Amino acid sequence: MTALLDINDLRVTFNTRYGEVTALDSVSLNVNAGETLGVVGESGCGKSITALATMGLIPSPPGRIAGGSIKLAGEELTGASDARLRALRGADIAMIFQEPMTSLNPVFTVGDQIAEAIMLHQKVSAAQAFKDAIALLDRVGIPSPAERARDYPHQLSGGMRQRVMIAMAVSCRPKVLIADEPTTALDVTVQAQIFDLLNEIQREFGAAIILITHDMGAISEMADRVAVMYAGRVIEQARADDVLDAPQHPYARGLIDCIPALGKGETELREIPGVVPPLHLLGAGCAFADRCAHKFARCESEKPLLADHGHHPAACHAVEEGRI
Amino acid sequence: MTALLRAEDLTVRFRLAKQSLFGPPVHLEAVRAVSFTLEKGRALGIVGESGSGKTTTAMAAIRLTEAAGGKVLFEGEDLLALDDEAMRARRRDIQLIFQDPYSSLNPRARVADIVREPMDLMEIGTPAERDARVRELFGLVGLRADQLGLFPHQFSGGQRQRISIARALSTNPKLLVCDEPVSALDVAIQAQILNLLARLKEELGLSYLFISHDLGVVRHVCDDVAVMYLGKIVEHGPRDAIFDAPQHPYSQALLAAAPSLKRRKSEGYVRPMKLSGDPPSPIRPPKGCAFADRCPKAQELCRDMPPEPHEEGALRVACHFPG
Ligand SMILES: Nc1ncnc2c1ncn2[C@@H]1O[C@H](COP(=O)(O)OP(=O)(O)OP(=O)(O)O)[C@@H](O)[C@H]1O
Ligand SMILES: Nc1ncnc2c1ncn2[C@@H]1O[C@H](COP(=O)(O)OP(=O)(O)OP(=O)(O)O)[C@@H](O)[C@H]1O
Ligand SMILES: [Mg+2]
Ligand SMILES: [Mg+2]
Repeated sequence: MTALLDINDLRVTFNTRYGEVTALDSVSLNVNAGETLGVVGESGCGKSITALATMGLIPSPPGRIAGGSIKLAGEELTGASDARLRALRGADIAMIFQEPMTSLNPVFTVGDQIAEAIMLHQKVSAAQAFKDAIALLDRVGIPSPAERARDYPHQLSGGMRQRVMIAMAVSCRPKVLIADEPTTALDVTVQAQIFDLLNEIQREFGAAIILITHDMGAISEMADRVAVMYAGRVIEQARADDVLDAPQHPYARGLIDCIPALGKGETELREIPGVVPPLHLLGAGCAFADRCAHKFARCESEKPLLADHGHHPAACHAVEEGRI
Repeated sequence: MTALLRAEDLTVRFRLAKQSLFGPPVHLEAVRAVSFTLEKGRALGIVGESGSGKTTTAMAAIRLTEAAGGKVLFEGEDLLALDDEAMRARRRDIQLIFQDPYSSLNPRARVADIVREPMDLMEIGTPAERDARVRELFGLVGLRADQLGLFPHQFSGGQRQRISIARALSTNPKLLVCDEPVSALDVAIQAQILNLLARLKEELGLSYLFISHDLGVVRHVCDDVAVMYLGKIVEHGPRDAIFDAPQHPYSQALLAAAPSLKRRKSEGYVRPMKLSGDPPSPIRPPKGCAFADRCPKAQELCRDMPPEPHEEGALRVACHFPG
């Protein structure tokens, strides 16, 4: 059985002043209806580019999809026409961005904006669409939705704006919902409300969710499966419990160990030394080698591929050769 | 234990722009009669939602924001009563680091000059001694001497935060106020900076007033914790007591909301306690407990009368129905 969203060997490049750089390199991901895939990794590892490629929104130029495939319910999206992608966006696949203020229009009321999104994909009257918008605001937990629908984005708190974004994103019951760091700018209590809301929506109409985050705690609470990314590649992918309990790749382990946990006191945190290398300096070997305590000769000359080495898929020579 | 910094009934009021030309001026009480103690060599964490008054409390406590009332004792001396000259002399004991290492460093200055500047301004040591101190500080925070001549944009976010820390330490302060010092950093880099701060506290005997919205970070760094809600400290006490058995319903909700590796979707994790809505407006705070309309335990009394802080075991709690 093929997955609802099936990304295979995706390659995205950008033209930069350093020449062509590879932002995504053989990225393969999939997610099924009713399931949440968490995508986690440090800043710049390619999480948002993966999401934008799936939405058909890679800025081009300078970017382009240089290889691989993205299939939604069997339909190939790479190379699809702009008209087809526009029809799919919002209807079958929708995205929630990190900063709702940048994706909401400041000069229209939030009710009008949601109604607009509804009318784009459904044949309903403006009056009906506005009514539906109010019902959606109510559904995402906004108090006095009929009044709030007449507010402009700046009149709402950050948490309420993110709910408006969610209302807009789910207005056509998309099959796939991509949430790109939807709570980074919000307080933990509001983050908890947004997470709970995403879970309710998923239970209600079986959407597949891709949750992009840099927070392993969020992964633990929200994800069924996880893909860990580093420098444009997926370096580990498995059920969330497998990755959290038995991370294989030293980077995945590092991401888990460096979190100051709520439950423990002041033992020294494990650090991952160094920083992510810039894309134009990626060499022939493993991109993580310079920061890795398990590095050996092969890591400098050959890129490890994502493969099952006994536990679950990881892209690491040291794991493959049983050194860790 | 001796107190390094003690705030008593500290209050800060901001005057807002008038709503209409002839209307009365509107005031916002951002910090409402807050009291806390920071012991020497310890770290006091301040946690709470955005807008709860964490930054304003810290700024008022070191006299960078004007207080409308209350006292701040620094080594027993009331900072708010000092004249300008005495306060300037005190400045070298108190330094700050901020959330955003990108915007808090002068982009046109070499990092060696950035680190040396506080010593220049306060005329600490001879120029040669200052240069030697800059080199020493670079080593202390894990930067290399060959990087002294570079500019801020040539460093990563984590390295820039190291530069801010070196600069803050240049005057040999007793108190370091850290306002969200790792919030803008990736987790891997966060760990590097948190370890550095922990090591510096030990080695130099520093005290921290440490603001963070990340409870994991606070648990890691701080010895004591104060939880703020709408301008008040609602719970205050030793770290383990607050994290293991919080008494205030708001502290409980905060802890329930913080993501944790122990809560798994596969196990059908359901949050035990959910908060709905937003905090009330600080311009017109409710007459009773500010948390009452979001609190699952609230009763008539809570809406009528603000709870006074009182001892509950090791904690000080401002709640009519703690536990
Ligand atoms: N327009 C562009 N031109 C050149 N490079 C780009 C462009 N957009 C993104 N990139 C590069 O692609 C890589 C992946 O970026 P992406 O935004 O996907 O990272 P991310 O994982 O979402 O990071 P963050 O956690 O900071 O959001 C980065 O190295 C980035 O510099
Ligand atoms: N200069 C100012 N003038 C008017 N109001 C202000 C000013 N500075 C802060 N406030 C208000 O005072 C209250 C407390 O703000 P403060 O910045 O101390 O909160 P905080 O807890 O640090 O929040 P955050 O987590 O967002 O940094 C808020 O309601 C804020 O809007
Ligand atoms: Mg991103
Ligand atoms: Mg603040």
